[in-house]
Amino acid sequence: MIKQPNVILGNAELLVTMGRKGELFGFFYPRRDHAQHIDESLACIHTGETLLWTNSNDWQSIQNYIEDTNIVSTKLYHDSGIRISILDLVHPDVPVLIRRFKIQSQKKISGKFYYYSNFNVGETSKKNSGYCDTNARMIVQYWQDYYIGIHSMPEFSEWQIGKAMDTIWWTNSRYDMEDGKLQNNKEDIGNINNAAGWELELEADGTKEFVIFVGAAPSRNLLYKRMHELAKLPLEQIFEKTREHWVMWLSKKQVLKMSGLEGYNNLRQELFNAYNRALLTLYLMNDHENGSFVAAPEFDSNFEKCGGYGFCWNRDSSEVVLALKHSGYPEYCDRFFSWCIRTQLPDGSWFQRYWLDGNKAPSWGNFDYSTQIDETGSTLYAMDVYYRTLEGLKKIEFLEEVWISVLRAAEYLMKRTKTGLHESCMDLWETYYGIFTYTNASVYAGLVGASNLAEENGEAGLARRWKKRAEFIKQATIDRFWLQEGYFAKGVVSEKLDKTLDASVLATYIPFGMLSPRKPVERDMIFFLIENIQKKLSSPVNRHYGIKRYENDAYINGNPWIVTTLWLSEVMFALALDLPYEEEKDLHEETRKKLTEEGIRFLKWALAGTTSAGLLPEQVDKSTGKPAWAIPLGWSCSLMLDNILLLDKICRRKAGSETEG
Amino acid sequence: MVRDLCLFAGYNEDTQIVWFKISYSKGRGVLPAIINFLEEQDVLIMIGHLDNMNQETGEYSIFTEIRKEVDLDELSRKIGELEVVQQVEYGISEHRMIHLVDFPLNVIGVRAIIARAPTLVDIIRTLNESAPHAEGLLTLSGLRGGIHAAKYFRSIMPLDDKNFTSILTELYRAVGWGILEIDCDPETFEGKIIVRDSFIADVYGETDQPICAYMSGYFAGYLTEYSGKNIRVREVSCKATGHEVCEHIISPAPSGEKQEHVITRGVSR
Repeated sequence: MIKQPNVILGNAELLVTMGRKGELFGFFYPRRDHAQHIDESLACIHTGETLLWTNSNDWQSIQNYIEDTNIVSTKLYHDSGIRISILDLVHPDVPVLIRRFKIQSQKKISGKFYYYSNFNVGETSKKNSGYCDTNARMIVQYWQDYYIGIHSMPEFSEWQIGKAMDTIWWTNSRYDMEDGKLQNNKEDIGNINNAAGWELELEADGTKEFVIFVGAAPSRNLLYKRMHELAKLPLEQIFEKTREHWVMWLSKKQVLKMSGLEGYNNLRQELFNAYNRALLTLYLMNDHENGSFVAAPEFDSNFEKCGGYGFCWNRDSSEVVLALKHSGYPEYCDRFFSWCIRTQLPDGSWFQRYWLDGNKAPSWGNFDYSTQIDETGSTLYAMDVYYRTLEGLKKIEFLEEVWISVLRAAEYLMKRTKTGLHESCMDLWETYYGIFTYTNASVYAGLVGASNLAEENGEAGLARRWKKRAEFIKQATIDRFWLQEGYFAKGVVSEKLDKTLDASVLATYIPFGMLSPRKPVERDMIFFLIENIQKKLSSPVNRHYGIKRYENDAYINGNPWIVTTLWLSEVMFALALDLPYEEEKDLHEETRKKLTEEGIRFLKWALAGTTSAGLLPEQVDKSTGKPAWAIPLGWSCSLMLDNILLLDKICRRKAGSETEG
Repeated sequence: MVRDLCLFAGYNEDTQIVWFKISYSKGRGVLPAIINFLEEQDVLIMIGHLDNMNQETGEYSIFTEIRKEVDLDELSRKIGELEVVQQVEYGISEHRMIHLVDFPLNVIGVRAIIARAPTLVDIIRTLNESAPHAEGLLTLSGLRGGIHAAKYFRSIMPLDDKNFTSILTELYRAVGWGILEIDCDPETFEGKIIVRDSFIADVYGETDQPICAYMSGYFAGYLTEYSGKNIRVREVSCKATGHEVCEHIISPAPSGEKQEHVITRGVSR
């Protein structure tokens, strides 16, 4: 069953995804992509008469992050007058989720508080083993060297380890809670679940507090030690340490000013919040050991409705690391490009997608015709962009580190673009085989980047060769794909020109810079692209328009995407900045203003499509306006960062010119 | 328990199938008066049922066969003019396949549908063939249904040791799931349930293993909810394995730390 999170939290080793009622959806340890140990994990209350599941429709919820942290507050309200406040945080140093439940009731309750879990330790429901250590007051479930445990303050007074899916249904912990008394079975094997129980005696308007630790470790011994050490610490101390960790990490960011946005109600503050949230989200999607990123925390591991998102794509990650670099976090570039060197294929290209440790992920891009050449172009382009930002020794060392990889990748692109357009492969949306404007633009940018790196490395001959091919590709793309209607065709599909307008053709300007706004003809082409994309791909919802990927898009109902919408607004902001500017007389002032205002409208539309806690999804449901499909999506986060940084630059420039004026 | 449902086979090009829902004031001789009037109008009543709306009002739902030239608006108006009639609704079953007077269909307090037995059996078969723990999954699904049934019956009538088995038997027969013979001691909750013509076993075809886990779960849920104790129901013989009938054994579920399954499943090996 596909369940989309409303919040995520974690630390370097642990990633937790959670629904809006505080129910756990995912518990990824020790990597962001593997293994996911949880099927369900949530609290229940037995009122003495009936069992209330906290994820049922009877509860209303309010959920948000504690400001500038990955600490989550969830408040649940039940019609019967029961209120539960949940505070969730992951200790910065150890993979333990700490959950504080405060329960209040308007009426007297004489019942039980339960914490129910259905773990699939090792990402399997098979061959698990579970037990309740009544001396250590720990429920543990393990498979091979994955140990997941539950410990609590105060200690639980009853428990059940039962079969999750068996004909002996009365051992099932789900059902065992129904009568308000657990059977205290101590151990079992196979597909099992568990529950811990506490007495819940509440006077009217009384409060009771339970702290539950859900931890992970590679051994039984370490799990016990971690849980018991944490349980000794006052929760306030752990909370402060965790809050401080996030605040300190955020303090390294590029500081925003955003002056001049006063006329947009609360937009300035919303953008500050969105900026911080995107950064905090990307922290959680990065493999701190390997440098790779998941596109999104996995939510469809059975590939029921898509091919899954819990893997690393070079296309997405190249965008992400550059956005992080521009936001003040260059270390993500270093780690990611080291990972790229390690994962490059023998032919010089990069695979469709990888596990975070660098192994090839499940793929439908195993052949030359089904690979995605743009991922190699994007990677080379990103390496060069990063290189240009470096200085001194660091610059030299980076070039030394990546040079062989650059050489191999550039030659791969040369091999596959002999006619001036790339050979047939799969498009960036992983839907079509053919030749694409987007892919050609990425190859162009990759070869221009490689050429610059070659020049810097004293390889003038290679630099000229790669630059020449890049220009050849640019010309061929314009000649073959630019349409009289004023936009680039998607490309060639089934050996025919496919004139479908695809928002990804924006890549000819941003990020790949194949079109230059400094050349009047190309500037006009960019304006035409903006106009036609708005005209043909706008999808009305949330009181404005989001941008669809392409005409007749059928993937997940053809919703508008945050990615394509923020892509368009980024183009608008970038163009506003790139238009020729003369201090004495700004000939483009009106256009600049219009582009900025339109960009802000799309940016606000993207903000309206986040989860209640501010996570950016991949799409926005075209009917309800709610976040849709992958949540959070790293690519959406990186585009949000890019947009905000560009808007900040516009604001600074404007403030500067006004000051000077 | 199945209500508001009529199935027709055959076809007569001169007639049409029409349903009427007639609300009337209750009283001696009222219903015969309505029926007599309809017969006078040359209306052939094929099937009908009565509903007690409240102490004063009743509802008479009928399916009829009427010649096509009859003006149905006029006929409906005439029925409505009868002194005892409060309201009349009618509709035409154009394709004579299935028609429900009240949409949607309702069975024991919740929405119901009509499905071919093979439709459900195909789902069961697919689970058995493809899903891990299919038997457990079906047991748990049945358990939910059985719990709901007992809760529903308790909410509308006194459910006691005298009638708890006969109500379940009646339900199974009404929905076409099978004919039950229940022998269950209400003190110990030990006994057995014989299912004749189980829709699962009938349709499933020959198998090596009993395949009515959904029904076992249903019985377990019903008896557990009724008794307030965990009741285990196991199918020990099944028509699909070549037996004449399906047999489900009832017993209290084992409880406590050392449960029966731990030993019987050979885990100690």
